[in-house]
Amino acid sequence: MTRYVMVADLRRCVGCQTCTAACRHANATPPGVQWRRVLDLEIGEYPEVQRVFVPTGCQHCSDPPCVAACPSTATRQRADGIVTIDYDICIGCLYCALACPYEARSKVDEPVYAYGDDPTASETARFDPRTIGVAQKCTFCVDVIDAGVAAGLTPGKDRAATPACANACISGALTFGDIDDPNSAVSRLLRENKHFRMHEDAGTKPGFYYLWDKEALPL
Amino acid sequence: MKPTRHGSARYVPTYCYNCVAGPDLLTVKVEDGVATEVRPNFAATGIHPADGRVCVKAFGLVQKTYNPHRILTPMKRTNPKKGRDQDPGFVPISWEEALDEITGRLNRIRAEGLLDDRGLPKVAASFGHGGTPASYMGTLPAFLAAWGPMDFSFGSGQGVKCTHSEHLYGEFWHRAFTVCSDTVHSRYILSFGANVEVTGGVCAVWRHAEARVRGIKRVNFEPHLSVTGAASAEWVPIKPKTDGALMFALINTMLFEQPRERLDIPFLRDRTASPYLVGPNGYFLRDPESRKPLMWDTVTNRAQPYDTPGVVAALEGAFTVPEAVEVGADDEVWTYSDVRVETAFTRMAETMRPYTAEWAEGICDVPATRIRRIAGEYLDNACIGQTIEVDGAVLPFRPVAVTLGKTVNNGWGAYDCVWARTMLACLVGALEVPGGTIGTTVRINKPHHNRLASVKPGPDGFMTANVNPTKRGKWEEKPTGRNAHKTLVPLVGNGAWSQALGPTHLAWMFVRESPESWVRPSYPEMWFIYRTNPAISFWDTHQLAETIARMPFVVAFAYTVDETNYMADILLPDATDLESTQLIRMGGTKFIEQHWEHQGVVLRQPAVDPCGESRDMTWIATELARRTGLIEKYNAALNRGAGSVPLKGDGFDFSLDLDKVHSGDEIWNAACKAATAELTHGADIKDLAWFRENGFFVVPFKRVDWYLYPTMVEQGLRFELPYQERLTRAGIELGRRLHEQDIHWWDRQLAEYEPIPRWHDIPEIWINALRNTGANPDDYPFWGVTTKSMQHTTGSNAAVQLMDEVAGNLRTHGRVVMNRKAAEKLGIKRDSWVEVRSVANFTRGQVELVEGIRPDTILITGQFQHWATPYAKDRNYPSLNTITPMSIELTDANGSGSDVVRVSVRPIEEVAA
Repeated sequence: MTRYVMVADLRRCVGCQTCTAACRHANATPPGVQWRRVLDLEIGEYPEVQRVFVPTGCQHCSDPPCVAACPSTATRQRADGIVTIDYDICIGCLYCALACPYEARSKVDEPVYAYGDDPTASETARFDPRTIGVAQKCTFCVDVIDAGVAAGLTPGKDRAATPACANACISGALTFGDIDDPNSAVSRLLRENKHFRMHEDAGTKPGFYYLWDKEALPL
Repeated sequence: MKPTRHGSARYVPTYCYNCVAGPDLLTVKVEDGVATEVRPNFAATGIHPADGRVCVKAFGLVQKTYNPHRILTPMKRTNPKKGRDQDPGFVPISWEEALDEITGRLNRIRAEGLLDDRGLPKVAASFGHGGTPASYMGTLPAFLAAWGPMDFSFGSGQGVKCTHSEHLYGEFWHRAFTVCSDTVHSRYILSFGANVEVTGGVCAVWRHAEARVRGIKRVNFEPHLSVTGAASAEWVPIKPKTDGALMFALINTMLFEQPRERLDIPFLRDRTASPYLVGPNGYFLRDPESRKPLMWDTVTNRAQPYDTPGVVAALEGAFTVPEAVEVGADDEVWTYSDVRVETAFTRMAETMRPYTAEWAEGICDVPATRIRRIAGEYLDNACIGQTIEVDGAVLPFRPVAVTLGKTVNNGWGAYDCVWARTMLACLVGALEVPGGTIGTTVRINKPHHNRLASVKPGPDGFMTANVNPTKRGKWEEKPTGRNAHKTLVPLVGNGAWSQALGPTHLAWMFVRESPESWVRPSYPEMWFIYRTNPAISFWDTHQLAETIARMPFVVAFAYTVDETNYMADILLPDATDLESTQLIRMGGTKFIEQHWEHQGVVLRQPAVDPCGESRDMTWIATELARRTGLIEKYNAALNRGAGSVPLKGDGFDFSLDLDKVHSGDEIWNAACKAATAELTHGADIKDLAWFRENGFFVVPFKRVDWYLYPTMVEQGLRFELPYQERLTRAGIELGRRLHEQDIHWWDRQLAEYEPIPRWHDIPEIWINALRNTGANPDDYPFWGVTTKSMQHTTGSNAAVQLMDEVAGNLRTHGRVVMNRKAAEKLGIKRDSWVEVRSVANFTRGQVELVEGIRPDTILITGQFQHWATPYAKDRNYPSLNTITPMSIELTDANGSGSDVVRVSVRPIEEVAA
């Protein structure tokens, strides 16, 4: 079996938002829609305080509440764990967004551009009308993964089969791969380091792990 | 990555050099002639230290290209009045008309003389941060060289926004214009205000992340919890501008509370001037015949010149020398018999003796126990006596480093900090060795691309130094530039970068009002500006904009209208990052924290056609040269390397015909061939077509060449520490020259020339400056400080929506950041509006309340408060630059000022954009 997951090493992340920008590029999301973003959090009180940067987005849960909430079956989970949205089926009700504990979903009801009412040349070239009026979120760059696998590549190992955020991360904080492969980088990282998942008590079993060598974060 | 096609898409290799941490290697996805996406260039895996990844700023380049607010045709001003309240009335004109207007004026200037009646260049030019425009301006440097005298005095933030003192002293002491930790080997780093996770670029971010996972410990001293503080093992919220005191206490603890064997005695004795004897007048004691500095030889038990074979010098102590001389300022000589003297090390130790951990606690607001513990950890990790093999060479292994950030490194107190940092390295032999505190590049000495080759034996066992003369008859009494860098600042030297290093704010101040006994300089008849917006990026920005409005004729290479080019007479649209061609060097060692195992060159090429009428800078520069009759000198400058690399060298000659007008492709084709010929000694020559396919070319670079230590040993040289005899002499001579001209307004700066720095209550300087304006210091109870934004810094990115958006994920972006409890005392709530006021001006913004900042400090990130730049002007963000005054009183001896200001904070009603 294959189960794709993301591992974010919080010891490495510096909150630079390069993953956020790379995702905006790769998926042509409009201004304000960030499938991947990095939170800037504080723990403690002055002067005993820590600041930590936490990449987040769709957690591709094993038990995704968004799938259960979706009345149109647009949101589904693949066998490899990736949670997808079929834009052709989605009715834009946003039940999924309400069900998601990770605030991972967005919806735009009309085109939004970087500079006012008119699109730039690149926005015109990238515009996808299917994304208007429907829920959208991180897909783990599923098209890239599928094309890569079809070409015999290994997601997480081969760049051409790996999500844009993990490719772009300048601190090496984001690692993608198959947790069912004991030799994958994600399996090794999880084997060798302390880790947790966000809102684990919600029972969603996220496919997004955080490496952290200090006390558990209040997430 | 080669330009490849997938369907209708092409992937074009190029580079981003928005900040000094570049170049980042990237690929641009182009679909049907439109740039749509930026990606890392993984063809650089194993070559680039971060394997070809690119910084967040590079992802702004697509929007930057297609920003609808771009200037896309030459324009001229129709409103003769200039000012913030005057609509410039820009109207489109043709390139022909624009160039005719510019070169007509240039030709008149050439005909009448390049200098005005005060000896100052009639033409001036200003460029943006850290030399980054040089990676975009094509062959413009060749035009500047061909022109002749040009004034680079008007800065856009140089001296106050850079690590100015580190630049000057770092290069003087260890050829380190920029200094960093040898992170790949370090185990313990003390970081004083350095924010390397924001300003160090992808190479530094990658190296430090690897080091953290490996187990490095970094202690970050900073008044607020910066990104680097967040990524450090420990944050120490130090009081602003007291870093020098804390470092003095670390030195004191190591000298007086730890056994000597915990220091690197051989390094101090043989690689520094610690054993040099110091005479009664404070200069090195010298041999009467050779005039060489003397050391006390423990073998013969007598004083011997420093380079006597077989000498084993005493590191410390007092000794009686039978016959000796001292040479003071202006070659004054004192002759001694049986003179009692001490070593420089002993002088240093005695100077540091009062600065105990308890003393520092009261100044820095850091507990003495913590200071002692950190000093102990530093020594614990120094690995005294250990070695490491690098490229077959056995070098000392000293994995402890000290890094300094901006504000720590500028203005008053910066000398204390850079000296103490370098001394901390010397105490354990961690200067320029694996794991230690090392340099990256040189800019005051040559050659710029090889700092090891810049090392030449100089006087007294030290390296040569590019120091401006201060002796009578050689001192530059009459400034040749408006910031008077050669006249006032010996240490800034006289290299190609020296004038732009400053003191650049003095140029802005002096053209408005000159101090006593100083001839007020003229405004330049023509001012070129490129990739810079000083009306936002410098200080006291309202007044600066007024000064800019007085410039008689301004030519701006313009991306959009902005706060500086609002005062321009001509706007020229240059092709931007993804639209134009240039070849630059990369790799080896260079700032900020780039130590590669390769070196080479990388091409920037048009991924897409230039938008509108924008033109490649090389075409513009060539036209300027042609129309001013300078084509021969311009081509000669290109042949010398003004465009990128020398076009002629050992075994190759791709020189351009001097009398022909060459196309951009011809010029860059020659540059590509010459660069690869230079790198391979002629064995592998690549042309422009090859670079367009492949992007970059590299050859191996030895890791051992990251360190200066082997070169110093090879040449038998010593690092010029701890005692600053040469600079103290220069300072005294400079004082005499100035006083001979009846100039006394620089006296406070002259007092900073101390052979070993002493503590001078640095924070109180700002308090006194308030009093001197008639203000009550109690009315300004906060320290206002700033920090950089990785998404914006130096990239002209305030107008790029994507950068603003992703920066907004950080709590500090566009906000006045306050300590939660301190704000509560003032009745200030999160997201509410406040006015931050200094004696100079005020700025307004929304508040972010955090725990990670001192209660006596407020933080404003980046450089904003735009009023002309489209998109940015609607953001309504505050800016510390608006409220930070320029003053001689707050300028140090090297002409720099600190990015810090005393402020008040009060709640106000919401402010509309």
